[in-house]
Amino acid sequence: MEQNLQYFLIPFLHWEMMLLIWIGVFAGIWVGAIPGLSVTMAASLLISFTFSWDLNNALALICGVFVGGVYGGSITAILLNIPGAPAAIATGIEGYPLAQLGEAGKAIGLCTTVSVFASFVGIVVLAVAAPVIANFSLKFSPRDFFLLAVMGLLLIGSIGGGDPVKGITAGAVGVLLSMVGMDPSTGELRYTFGNIYLMAGISFVTAMIGLFGVSEALTQFRSAGKQSPKQNLDKIIPNWETFIRFLPLSIRSSLLGVFIGALPGTGGDVAALLAYDQAKRSVRNPSRPFGTGAYEGIVAPETANKGAIGGAFIPMLTLGIPGDAVTAIIIGALFIHGLKPGPMLMIETPHLFWMIVSCLSIASVALMVLGLVSVKPFARIIDIPKSIIMPVVIILSVIGTYAIQNSVVDIFYMIGFGIIGYFMRLYGYATGPMVLGLILGPMLDANYRRAMQGAENQLIPFLQGFVTNPISLVLTLSIVFLVFSQTKTYRRWRGLS
Amino acid sequence: MDDPKGIGSGGKPNETAAVKDLSVYVPEARRRPGELGITVITFIIGALGYYFALGMTSGEFSSPSVFPKLASTVIMVCSAVNFRKAVKRERPEESDSSVVHYLLPRDVVVMLSLLVIYCFALPQIRFIASSYAFMVAGMIYLQRGKNIVRALLISAASLAVLVVIFRYLFLVILP
Repeated sequence: MEQNLQYFLIPFLHWEMMLLIWIGVFAGIWVGAIPGLSVTMAASLLISFTFSWDLNNALALICGVFVGGVYGGSITAILLNIPGAPAAIATGIEGYPLAQLGEAGKAIGLCTTVSVFASFVGIVVLAVAAPVIANFSLKFSPRDFFLLAVMGLLLIGSIGGGDPVKGITAGAVGVLLSMVGMDPSTGELRYTFGNIYLMAGISFVTAMIGLFGVSEALTQFRSAGKQSPKQNLDKIIPNWETFIRFLPLSIRSSLLGVFIGALPGTGGDVAALLAYDQAKRSVRNPSRPFGTGAYEGIVAPETANKGAIGGAFIPMLTLGIPGDAVTAIIIGALFIHGLKPGPMLMIETPHLFWMIVSCLSIASVALMVLGLVSVKPFARIIDIPKSIIMPVVIILSVIGTYAIQNSVVDIFYMIGFGIIGYFMRLYGYATGPMVLGLILGPMLDANYRRAMQGAENQLIPFLQGFVTNPISLVLTLSIVFLVFSQTKTYRRWRGLS
Repeated sequence: MDDPKGIGSGGKPNETAAVKDLSVYVPEARRRPGELGITVITFIIGALGYYFALGMTSGEFSSPSVFPKLASTVIMVCSAVNFRKAVKRERPEESDSSVVHYLLPRDVVVMLSLLVIYCFALPQIRFIASSYAFMVAGMIYLQRGKNIVRALLISAASLAVLVVIFRYLFLVILP
């Protein structure tokens, strides 16, 4: 115990580690805020120039970028309705209407506060229950991941914004587009039409930048002369009563985020969307109706995607399995520095576990300070006339899209998705479900087929698995509940509007 | 319920009335110009998706064609429902603009054209020159020809900041 504490204190006793964490958080906030520039990209760039560094310093910087980057994605979602990352899509649904009401400052302030809280929840769970959760997450079979993806698709009703049938149409188009490219299990080409650029598939980040960024800019051009509302920046830090009011929701969503983050292959994006959905279903008296600027709709996804940070480290540190893309890069860094990530990592190098816990804790404190300091400068972005900000947004979208795989073709895809998104908005088709379909399509397809192959392509054994396996049964019942909870009978029974 | 100071409108009737409750879907009384056409287009997308999925390996429950066919079918069914719902609604008002004008007002056409020209120019004259030209042209047009010097200076300053941050600080390769 005493030794663990010593390991935990390592970053506190080395000023250069402390400094690197703060620099990482600051850089992460700005990188995360730009659509297309992801935390994964920032982490992979950093790894390349930290090869020669001491491992502790490299990890300190990456932990800082991770925490700051996940937070940064929400800033542009709230201010401009352009999520910096998929994990911030749900935040924009309620955040942007708040900015339109002049409450961007309060929204970002609340987002910062609950984010720090959720980061600590994730860290505490990581420190206390890592091995238990890691072993449990390994029990998830392809059928369970398939059910998880189905659960995610049910969110279309929540993020669709209007007509549910239009939401399902957009979601199905997203799933169809996600099938483009080489089938990962058989190598068969689907919808590529002999085009080599389509063989790698359509990046959902490219689609997201187009569907949110460019389409938002085009929609804004319809009212370019209209002035944005004046932002109230007097009270950006939520008071104690507000924090307490949102505490139960914050705890629920953070824990959901930790768990989703701990599942290999799922991360903050799925966690945030699931948390938004559960908030929409469970909160009886939201601060405003959902879809018009409900603060609960910011609290839930923000706490979930921050909780997922600690969660993502759980399988990585205990089993050597990455929880998400960033932890996969960190595993690569550990290999480069001569370590062997795997079940023996915590036994052979216990200092690493406690040092990462410590770095994440310091990064969360840094996020509180740097996030709140940044609220006012960020909120001022809205005051800039649209005639100036929108061309800059388009340039940023171009930089972000090109940076994904240094391809000009991706920029054309992004513009194409922008035009599609613009038309969708005009006819009441929300763009969120299409991105959701693109994100979840490969997860649905791959896990359904693996599960079906596991049942030797027999329908009855495949379906039996849904009720005979305890995890699958719980997930199946959850899906049944989610469908039932969308009915009028349930809403009347629960007294929801 | 007590509304914590500074957050949300809670039970404030004036603000609650001002915002539209999006959690409950209320269909619009009239269809928008061109709405029927959009449902036909989405149906065609679904039909083409299904047609091309027929060429993929099939025959087993785990074949690569299962999800493409499923997604295409959902698109076609939903498009048919959307079409039916749109037909049931009243026609757009006579005073409504034409489909083309509704979809593409002048500002959108101009900015979209600039965007397409910018994308084609990008590989030819590289990032800095094409981005500067796009920003200057876009800002001058959106400000209706006023403040030309300001547009030139703001574009130069914004681009300089972007290049320094992304190229030199974050080591991002620019187009």
